[in-house]
Amino acid sequence: MALKISSEFRKEISKLGEGFSINYCYQCGTCSGGCPALRYTKVYNPRRIMENVLLGFKEDTLKDPVLWLCTMCHACLEACPQGVKVSEILIILRNLATQIGSYPEHLNAEVSALLDYGLINPGSGAIQRRRQQLGLPEVPRPKVDNIKKVADETGFIKLTGYKPKEE
Amino acid sequence: MADYALFLGCNIPNRLPHLELAARKVLPKMDINLIDIPEFGCCPEPIGIQELSRDAWMAMAAINLCLAEEKGLDIITLCNGCFETLRTVNTELKNDGHHKEKVNKVLSKIGKEYKGTQNVKHVLEVLYNDIGVEKIKANVQKELKGIKIAVHYGCHVLRPSAILKTDDPFQPKSLDELVNALGAESIPYLRKMLCCGTGIEGIDKENQLWMVHDKLVQVERMKADCMTMLCPLCYIQYEMGQLQLKKEPYKAQFKVPIMYYPELLGLALGMDPSELGFKLHRVKVDPVLQKIQ
Repeated sequence: MALKISSEFRKEISKLGEGFSINYCYQCGTCSGGCPALRYTKVYNPRRIMENVLLGFKEDTLKDPVLWLCTMCHACLEACPQGVKVSEILIILRNLATQIGSYPEHLNAEVSALLDYGLINPGSGAIQRRRQQLGLPEVPRPKVDNIKKVADETGFIKLTGYKPKEE
Repeated sequence: MADYALFLGCNIPNRLPHLELAARKVLPKMDINLIDIPEFGCCPEPIGIQELSRDAWMAMAAINLCLAEEKGLDIITLCNGCFETLRTVNTELKNDGHHKEKVNKVLSKIGKEYKGTQNVKHVLEVLYNDIGVEKIKANVQKELKGIKIAVHYGCHVLRPSAILKTDDPFQPKSLDELVNALGAESIPYLRKMLCCGTGIEGIDKENQLWMVHDKLVQVERMKADCMTMLCPLCYIQYEMGQLQLKKEPYKAQFKVPIMYYPELLGLALGMDPSELGFKLHRVKVDPVLQKIQ
């Protein structure tokens, strides 16, 4: 398959958040040199991802599950000699990937917990008893309706296809 | 006494209540008054929810910021993740009128408005910048003499440094100095700045555990008595990780006690170990406690 090179994807990214900084990338690879995800996963490579954006490979970039192997340690962003906000650009790419439904399955459980309980880790009866033994107050009880309304208003519920838990 | 709204987040109250206990018992001894706001929810999590939708993440974080504003309190966080979310969103909303307008339009649906009157601080900043090493030294009752400690910062208290502004992004020294202030010794070790890998735990657990493994190897190699940190997610990786690393393909037998810094501070301030939740540690801390006695 022949790959078509274009500047469209780079222009699209340039308009979002810290995305404009990608225009300063000269592919030196400093980001990859200090990247723990590259060192350990061997397949995640921030320089390569920046390159693919610059060359306009939109679909391949967004649909590749490798996009989700960054640990978000932000070392690349600090180390870049050109001031490219590499990890921030990665967040932009992940947001775009989410919009086409390409994100890791396990995040759905996180979304459900957040919108059902207001906490991504709602705890259990056992933990409540342990807290009592330690003399700690009850676990925070956020106003879930407020969180849901805000989530709905920002399009987050539609985006993630969240369904409320069965009562 | 400085008043702070205590932001617990999800993992400390629901998985590691002994960390919460240490913070609640020890911080007031250093004139930090912790005030509960029960309606605080998830920050929300910066390496999951932000990745799905940065706009939704910002708006949900702003609910928490509004709750602190309504009480006129600055927020103190006990977790790097909560800190990164709340500090980042607070900074962006304070400095970017466009974002603020967008978020306030959403918040109006629940009768709230973000104003930008309060600050968000990590417990590390409060201890190091506001209380200070000298005051902590002056309050030490029982020096932790001879205890060698491997300090782990965790990424999201340091980076992105332009927004978080806590310490040097690659060569921080605040927590090392706070450890030395207790009479203990912060030891140098390789891989000190290696990330705990929480961000890929849900996708690539095997490689994430190798990250944990490689740091623990260096900590043991330097004969550290324990590790210390100020992030519950890093804490879980290094403590639970030691149990998980016993299995294939790692077959590693680590016994590195993991101490939340307020626990060490409490011991140095003269608290009896029975006042803190050491029995809830999954890797026994007795060797450290015996050395202190």
